[in-house]
Amino acid sequence: MNSGPALVSILRQGDTLVASVHTALDDSEMVRFQNDLVRQIGEYRARGVIIDVAALDVIDSFASRTLQTIADIARLRGAVTVIVGIQPEVAFAMVRLGMGMGEVATALDLEEGMAHLAGLRGSGARRE
Amino acid sequence: MTPAPAREEPEDADGAAHVADLMPMLRRIVAARVGQHPAAEDIVQETLLRVLTAEDRIEPGMLEPYAITTVRNVIATMWRKQDRDARNQHRVHDPSEPEDAEELVVASEEQSAISVALSRLADRERQILLAHEVSGRATQSLADETGSTAGAVAAQLKRTRARMRVEYVLALEGVEPPTDRCRPVLLALSSADRRRQREVDAPRHLLECEVCARLSEPLMGRGPVRTDEIHVPIGADPDIVAARQAARELASRAGFTGTDLTMLATAVSEVARNIVRFASSGEVSIELLDRPRAGIRVVARDTGPGIGDLDRALEDGFSTYNGLGLGLPGSRRLMDEFDITSEPGQGTTVSMTKWIDRKG
Repeated sequence: MNSGPALVSILRQGDTLVASVHTALDDSEMVRFQNDLVRQIGEYRARGVIIDVAALDVIDSFASRTLQTIADIARLRGAVTVIVGIQPEVAFAMVRLGMGMGEVATALDLEEGMAHLAGLRGSGARRE
Repeated sequence: MTPAPAREEPEDADGAAHVADLMPMLRRIVAARVGQHPAAEDIVQETLLRVLTAEDRIEPGMLEPYAITTVRNVIATMWRKQDRDARNQHRVHDPSEPEDAEELVVASEEQSAISVALSRLADRERQILLAHEVSGRATQSLADETGSTAGAVAAQLKRTRARMRVEYVLALEGVEPPTDRCRPVLLALSSADRRRQREVDAPRHLLECEVCARLSEPLMGRGPVRTDEIHVPIGADPDIVAARQAARELASRAGFTGTDLTMLATAVSEVARNIVRFASSGEVSIELLDRPRAGIRVVARDTGPGIGDLDRALEDGFSTYNGLGLGLPGSRRLMDEFDITSEPGQGTTVSMTKWIDRKG
């Protein structure tokens, strides 16, 4: 599994981590992604995290919950998380399933996600 | 158009190139004989190979006639083999002669298994089967004898062969079926009778009964290959993704689009996860429907502990592990029809259907 192409790439841009999910992840891969990302938040002293899920064709209850968990952990570690790129069909199915993203910030795409983080920083309201 | 135009002298006298020049002609011959047969290109390549290996022995100028004769032989061999295969397809026994000593041992085991299987048939069944298969009597003449019709005799022969296959496999493996449900299930599988398979709930039995799961392999695959049905065994996390992708693929072939596809895949993901979490093994089967209207049915079966309180399991937010409790109630909202049965200690079956929403 580790020899194949990366399932997720995590790039650093200033103090923001941009994580792009490239393909459908199963539950254990999702948990591994969560652990990698949380570790890198500390390593790179990130203040913002953007998770791009545009490549996911399904976000089921487990995936939603994992994304929310990542955001919760990141907040406790001092970083703000924005989920970007949820496809319209996926959003529809999530609502029908009864899943939302809770308190986690979302944005249409990467650009909007960056703008959202920049907005937070500008107003100085980054940390409570 | 002349069939064999005089070729220019080859400039580099390269043998392989020379032989390759034969290809257009060979393709023409093959097309004329077998048309659009899928093996057409294989025949051309096989012929080229034979011509190439024999090239040293072919006299100059005789390459073309040699190739033409060879291609005819290759085609004739293919027809003969297909014909033989078709004639023998329904048989239990492979008529080709074994060669190695090892194969001879296997063959003698097979023979004794066949006689055991024969002895377990009813007398009348055995007589008719032997009269037809061994003495080569036509179904019509057998029908005349018993005052029946050729069709009825053929149908009976088909049932007898199915039973014979089951008994043969049992005798070969030297096992007695552990439960009294096993034989009916194996028989339904062997005869590729889908209605009967549903009646005896064959898929669930195969999950529960290890012996039948193993024996069923050589028995299945005799019916026509079904492209409108997929079974995905579920045992670990990656199977959840495999199941939902299989469902999506089948559904999109059936005409599902966009949001419906995503809702279906999400529901499959939830029920498959329940199998991994609670039962550790089971299967998801996905089947296209055309009656009463076009749709898709997903059945998730497991042999887990079962669900004690179904009503509560269908409530939002009820979870026995640290989950969100959205799996079952959420799946019910994502699909058009939803049905769940569970037997404590036996397992759970979730059956859900989604119909194609035809616009306009």
